[in-house]
Amino acid sequence: MFTQFSTWDIVRNLLEGGKWTLALTLIAFVLGGIAGLLVLFARIAGSRLLQTASKAYIEVFQGTPLLMQLFIVFFGLSLAGVDVSPWVAAAIGLTLFTSAYLAEIWRGCVESVSKGQWEASASLAMRYTEQMRYVILPQALRIAIPPTVGFSVQVVKGTAVASIIGFAELTKTGSMLANATFQPFMVFGFVALGYFFLCYPLSLYAKHLERKFHVAR
Amino acid sequence: MAYQFEFTPVFEHADLLLKGAGFTLALTVTGAVLGIGLGIVGAICRAWQLKPFNWLFGAYVEVIRNTPFLVQLFFIFFGLPSLGVKMGEWEAAVLAMVINLGAYSTEIIRAGIIATPRGQLEAAASLAMSRAETFRHVVLRPALQKVWPALTSQVIIVMLGSAVCSQIATEELTFAANFIQSRSFRAFETYFVTTAIYFALAVLLRQVLMALGRRFVIGRPA
Amino acid sequence: MSLVKIAGLHKHFGSNHVLKGIDLEIAEGEVVAIIGRSGSGKSTLLRTINGLESIDDGEIVVDGATLHAGDKDLRPLRLKVGMVFQQFNLFPHLTAGENVMLAPTVVKKTPRAEAMEIARKMMAKVGLAEKFDSYPDQLSGGQQQRVAIARALAMNPRVLLCDEITSALDPELVNEVLSVVKQLAAEGMTLVMVTHEMRFAREVGDKLVFMYQGRVHEAGPPRELFANPQTEELASFVGSIN
Repeated sequence: MFTQFSTWDIVRNLLEGGKWTLALTLIAFVLGGIAGLLVLFARIAGSRLLQTASKAYIEVFQGTPLLMQLFIVFFGLSLAGVDVSPWVAAAIGLTLFTSAYLAEIWRGCVESVSKGQWEASASLAMRYTEQMRYVILPQALRIAIPPTVGFSVQVVKGTAVASIIGFAELTKTGSMLANATFQPFMVFGFVALGYFFLCYPLSLYAKHLERKFHVAR
Repeated sequence: MAYQFEFTPVFEHADLLLKGAGFTLALTVTGAVLGIGLGIVGAICRAWQLKPFNWLFGAYVEVIRNTPFLVQLFFIFFGLPSLGVKMGEWEAAVLAMVINLGAYSTEIIRAGIIATPRGQLEAAASLAMSRAETFRHVVLRPALQKVWPALTSQVIIVMLGSAVCSQIATEELTFAANFIQSRSFRAFETYFVTTAIYFALAVLLRQVLMALGRRFVIGRPA
Repeated sequence: MSLVKIAGLHKHFGSNHVLKGIDLEIAEGEVVAIIGRSGSGKSTLLRTINGLESIDDGEIVVDGATLHAGDKDLRPLRLKVGMVFQQFNLFPHLTAGENVMLAPTVVKKTPRAEAMEIARKMMAKVGLAEKFDSYPDQLSGGQQQRVAIARALAMNPRVLLCDEITSALDPELVNEVLSVVKQLAAEGMTLVMVTHEMRFAREVGDKLVFMYQGRVHEAGPPRELFANPQTEELASFVGSIN
């Protein structure tokens, strides 16, 4: 049995895979953002234990390959008796990965708020949580937006690794099509183009925000 | 019944893991040297606005930074042969790493070059130094010095990213891990140990690169 | 025979006409102090003399090396003209000695050993022989500026330009730099300096140039000019600083 693939067939199949890339990105980014906020709070908390634990968490995720993280989630969960699909494993793995990176980016933003702001708010008899809530975080939030948008590009690209644990997103679809059509040059060219269309606008937007922010300062 | 962790089958293949780690390091070192070299060339073209190279490097940087490394690797290894460009899995892996790191380091180094204070350029000009002489003796080292931590982080990102080279059968650390788990059926234990090795490599690489930076880039006793 | 000859010099920054036809001659061994309010064009004039600012019209000749509007090859001119900056601009990754050696070895291809000898001599001349292996950030501002002077001198320039070289210094460090300049003047070095040190200009200068709104408003021997300003603008400038 031999199926003839037209260019349109290839593109249509890739678009189908691209949808899953987008879905995985959104889930990882949103859940990773929420988890990252928790890690951030632990990282800047008064408690030494929480600080150390969250620092270790960040260092482990930033110091190991995303592929290994996905493998460990995938095989670890099945050991625990949870039968996971590649889709769930990828979502969990990328969420953890994203949370570590976002927490670290945001910590940098919190720390970049000038020391004078801490001193000024302390001199007004504010407690640590009040300083954070009313003075530091609102300023850090503004600084955090451009690099956060910039990091979303890394999340989109990270989803490609999920193809290796068998999740049929854009890259996996591309691999299957390349095998079936014997046209790897064209197929992977289209795959690259697909990622580029997803990522480039985000990169441009991040750069734009960064510039706007610098002018505003 | 609770799962019994069994690491013995993994450690029985310690030699494979060590060899894989060695190959991962070799890939990274080759990729880093060539990639940073490419980055310096790209950064010069971009910072000096050498037409048409500044434009070409600009497009190259955007294409690479906005597509996944895995897709770049597949394009090189599976796609290019249909244009008659054939290469082995090692060559493809190195090429992909060089191209990837080259794009990031072009941007990183360019930022360092652009940050050169104007007074430095004027001082060099007043000493009758040409643009090339100024770049080589006045601009480059402080620029590299400034961005060395960023370059170090990027090299580590590329090293960790090289795990996906196992997908084109480059026999590096992850490839060794895949082989061991297919023999031992101890996937979790195998990848757990492999992850720990990657982590150790990342820590080691950071120490070594920062020490190299202090010794050769900054070039003065601390 | 003048060493530096500037004729009909014009310079614009966009729509701002900053130099409106400067004519100036400087003889060998002369010490010229350029004074004036900020925005009068004095720094710009100085910076055109070694091509750090391009010119729109006119001519600059330094010991046979000429510069016209649109000239691209500035090397012949810059080989004759040294410059010392307000902010020192030492190269931070090189030691003081290496700062001084760099241009002779790179530009003039002087052999290393010879360049080292020149550098040691220049460092001794500015009184910093023992700081040869120090990095700029290990030196005081006054010391850094003296290294910058040694660096310029190592290229053996015919003229040395000094652009407000004491303005960035703490008051107590000003004199160590000025005394080096004074010594250079005594040795017959041709000096052109933009300065706010009026007493120094009066003591050491052979010629005072008062810039006003992009023109040389008055020029002559400093004592005469200070004692007997011919224009109201100079009189008011002198009055405002004394």
